[in-house]
Amino acid sequence: VKSAAFEYHAPARAEEITELLGELGDGAKVIAGGQSLVPMMALRLAVFDHLVDIRNVSGLRGIEGRNGNWKSGAAEHSAAEHGAAEHSARHGWSVWIGAGTTQAAIGGSDLVAKAVPLLARATPLIGHFQIRNRGTIGGSLAHAEAAAEYPAVALALGATVEALSPRGQRSIPVAEFFTGIWSTALEADELLTGVTFPVWGGAGGGCGFAVEEFARRPVDFALAGAAVAVELSGLDGSGGSRIRRCGIGLIGLGPTPLRASAAEASVTGTAAGDAGSAARAKEIGATAMAELDSVPSDLHGPAKYRKRVGAAMVATAWQRAVKEAVNQEAASA
Amino acid sequence: VRLLRYIVSEDCGRMINPNVVEGQIAGGVVQGIGGALLEELAYDADGNPVATTFMDYLLPTAADVPVIEYGHVETAPGPGPGGYKGVGEGGAIGAPPAVVNAVADALAPFGVTITRVPLTPAAIIALLDEVRA
Repeated sequence: VKSAAFEYHAPARAEEITELLGELGDGAKVIAGGQSLVPMMALRLAVFDHLVDIRNVSGLRGIEGRNGNWKSGAAEHSAAEHGAAEHSARHGWSVWIGAGTTQAAIGGSDLVAKAVPLLARATPLIGHFQIRNRGTIGGSLAHAEAAAEYPAVALALGATVEALSPRGQRSIPVAEFFTGIWSTALEADELLTGVTFPVWGGAGGGCGFAVEEFARRPVDFALAGAAVAVELSGLDGSGGSRIRRCGIGLIGLGPTPLRASAAEASVTGTAAGDAGSAARAKEIGATAMAELDSVPSDLHGPAKYRKRVGAAMVATAWQRAVKEAVNQEAASA
Repeated sequence: VRLLRYIVSEDCGRMINPNVVEGQIAGGVVQGIGGALLEELAYDADGNPVATTFMDYLLPTAADVPVIEYGHVETAPGPGPGGYKGVGEGGAIGAPPAVVNAVADALAPFGVTITRVPLTPAAIIALLDEVRA
């Protein structure tokens, strides 16, 4: 298992990378950690004449809290640090993560743990720790593996990808980013430079997040999984609360990372107490699976089985997320 | 299937080095567990093998098996010099029936009969669906 020969480039500036990609065309591939790309090349599932590495571009690494023009970098003085209950401290904030930031760095970030808990909770499910030490969030999103964790989290939270090309910078909502098997909206000469996650909970309601997945062995590709984010409306006069918005990202249940839009719509606006019930969670799992039309089928599980597992993963993650949101709201009341 | 506890006893006559004996047994047991639950030489309809890498041909690793508990039994001395007996294969021979019978026992209330390995999650669900249908 050795890769076909390729030429290796590691420029120090992002602009040089996009120029190179433009020059080299289809024969070039960006490497951002290589934890999927290198095994695929070693198995000759993928062959590229040129690899362009982002590792020398320091501006592509880092985690920053942002609010309008405010930025908080290494010191992580984000308002989100002031505590989950203080919604005014979360309003308008987002967290920018450079494409070359490793999964290990994300998993170890206090800012991510507080401001984007779903991302923090999904991180330990990615491969082994050795993989997370090299694998990057940009690599994970650009690879667009349907069974990967970060794409599902990005979909659930409504993240935005930023891309650089010789024509300039543009933003792509993650909902429009995944276009097919291992395919994205990135042009051939476009480089994914970072991703911005909105901080949920800025409007005052409780928030809850959960990720669930099932694999043959703990580190294998998930047969099915779900990443769920829930935001409540805040307690009304009678002490009740509604689902203001929610995001359900599906793992391993289609050719691309998917969002269960119909399931989300079916429960948005309903009472939180009812939405968090086991019966309702089961329905939401079933609704999420009913939308799917090309569930993968392979040695490890036929499509029918994956859907069954997927429904259970959605239901479990949904119930946990709602419970956390309700508890958070009760605690801050 | 989650294995909660695994206990194995062997009789290799007098043990020269218990560490080596336990290592042999552990290796065999893990291989046997793999055969019962994970390893599958699968082919597609055209006869092409589909589990051609260790991403698809699943082997249990140290993290996928329970702590193995050992019992050492010495009955009569073996025929060889020193009364020693072999210890190479016992673990692998006992593990598949032990694991499969444990699963069979767990599924017995549903009236399920197990006829093939590996007992993958999808295979077990299919067996349950069959008897319910």
